Amino acid sequence: MNPNASPATPLYSPPGAPVVRRLGRVNWRGLLTLYLKEVRRFAKVATQTVLAPLVTTLLFLAIFVLAIGRSVDSMGGVTFMEFLAPGLIMMTMVQNAFANTSSSILIAKIQGNIVDVLMPPLSPGELTAGFALGGLTRGLLVGFTTWGAMTLIVPINMHAPLFVLFHAAAASLLLSLLGMLGAIWAEKFDHLAAVTNFVITPLAFLSGTFYSIERLPEALKIAAHLDPFFYMIDGFRYGFIGHADGSLGAGIAVMIAANAGLWLLIHRLFARGYRLKA
Amino acid sequence: MTAAAPIPAPRRFGRVNWIGLVTFASRDMRRTLKTYRYSLLGPLVSNMMFLAVFHLALGDRVWGLGTIGFGQFLVAGLVVFAICERAFETAAVSILYDKMEGMIWDTLMAPLSPLERTIGYTIGAASVGLLTGTIVLAASLLFVRLPAPDIPLLLFFAATGAVVLALGGIIAGTWAERWDHQSAISTFLLLPLSFLSGCYYPIGGLPELGRQLIQLNPVFYIVDGVRAGLTGFHEGSLQIGAAVLPSMAVVLFVLVHRLIRTGYKVKP
Repeated sequence: MNPNASPATPLYSPPGAPVVRRLGRVNWRGLLTLYLKEVRRFAKVATQTVLAPLVTTLLFLAIFVLAIGRSVDSMGGVTFMEFLAPGLIMMTMVQNAFANTSSSILIAKIQGNIVDVLMPPLSPGELTAGFALGGLTRGLLVGFTTWGAMTLIVPINMHAPLFVLFHAAAASLLLSLLGMLGAIWAEKFDHLAAVTNFVITPLAFLSGTFYSIERLPEALKIAAHLDPFFYMIDGFRYGFIGHADGSLGAGIAVMIAANAGLWLLIHRLFARGYRLKA
Repeated sequence: MTAAAPIPAPRRFGRVNWIGLVTFASRDMRRTLKTYRYSLLGPLVSNMMFLAVFHLALGDRVWGLGTIGFGQFLVAGLVVFAICERAFETAAVSILYDKMEGMIWDTLMAPLSPLERTIGYTIGAASVGLLTGTIVLAASLLFVRLPAPDIPLLLFFAATGAVVLALGGIIAGTWAERWDHQSAISTFLLLPLSFLSGCYYPIGGLPELGRQLIQLNPVFYIVDGVRAGLTGFHEGSLQIGAAVLPSMAVVLFVLVHRLIRTGYKVKP
């Protein structure tokens, strides 16, 4: 018998018997299934994954509205509420994009059902895309819902919708990829909690989400310019109010470079099976 | 043949099983200390973030604080938020986790009376809340000076508040059947009550209706009392707070004792 013959292609198969499915360069059906699994996973508990972030964000907005009261001074050339709203939307988007991929992968790892995504004929590229797009979807959905609810409360104009869209998508994707990185690295929920508490939350909170970085002392201002989270919130906010603290071109370049770099890294980790395969 | 070991005599205890009660009450604290990254450092970092963010965003925009600064005003809100959140979550998660994993039998089978279990859960969760509050306060003192705190007043309101929230957490954990239920209570009840309590802003600037509504929120009295203890500044009546919070604690305690005695949603 020819040892090079593929065992998956028998010389003869009886009529009606299932044959091995042939995949082209991309296993589209597998990719779509993984993506839909990721979306259905959060959609099933939409109260926790969409409604809860919406309520939390509106409560943050309420705190600021109540704290400032009737004071009307401005930040970045617009009223403080108009300045704040994009920041809140961005914060909730990135938190949810991160939570989606990180919880999905880490729970699967800990419960052992990660093999269900490692065994099917999915290439590292398809795995990366399936998980990342799932997180991207949740980020955008939460962002869109929050934006819709906020327009009922504070007047939100849109100055450059394409900037809004680009930065919303780029930020959600970036945090989805970071979530995957965190969950692939983590071995216990503690580890992931540490990443969330000590990396993601500080970067998100201190990046000018709630205040113009013009208010920071000089040293911190430089630090803020090194924070990729600063560029995503700054560009996103520019799309709404038409004013940016930093350079818009640099922002777009940073977002694309960060996303591309992380995507390649995750692809490599999946290909090697780092902390996923024995 | 070896002689059979003598059968140990059953332990006798008096009216109160003190060893059991202490063991039971210290359980949640041990669990917290074991996962300190998640349960102590997490709240510490997020509260320090709140301090920085609210200060940078609102520092010079808030009116009606009299002689104290916004930082001093804010510290009380952060401390109370940490106490309330951790006391509530600790009690709720402790019970729900045991229920989901089937370990609740370990506590039900131990020779503990319903009263001892009620006290144990309450003290355990309340002390975790107070520990978190202390850590947040200690860290805040690095950034904010508090010239003349009134310690007895502070302790009274912090401790009563922690007990009220711990009892609330026991009810939530007993009632919940899945993690969904517990997180729904946290998001749709606990978070609004904490955020809309004057934790982070003075209620003096609100419209009349808002002010009245906030005064129906028990968390407001905890915040106001703790703030009076820390800074001397308060917006509501401390007497009302000193009456409302202990009575709430008593009512909730009686209710929780009844739930635990009847085995509501815990025993088949």
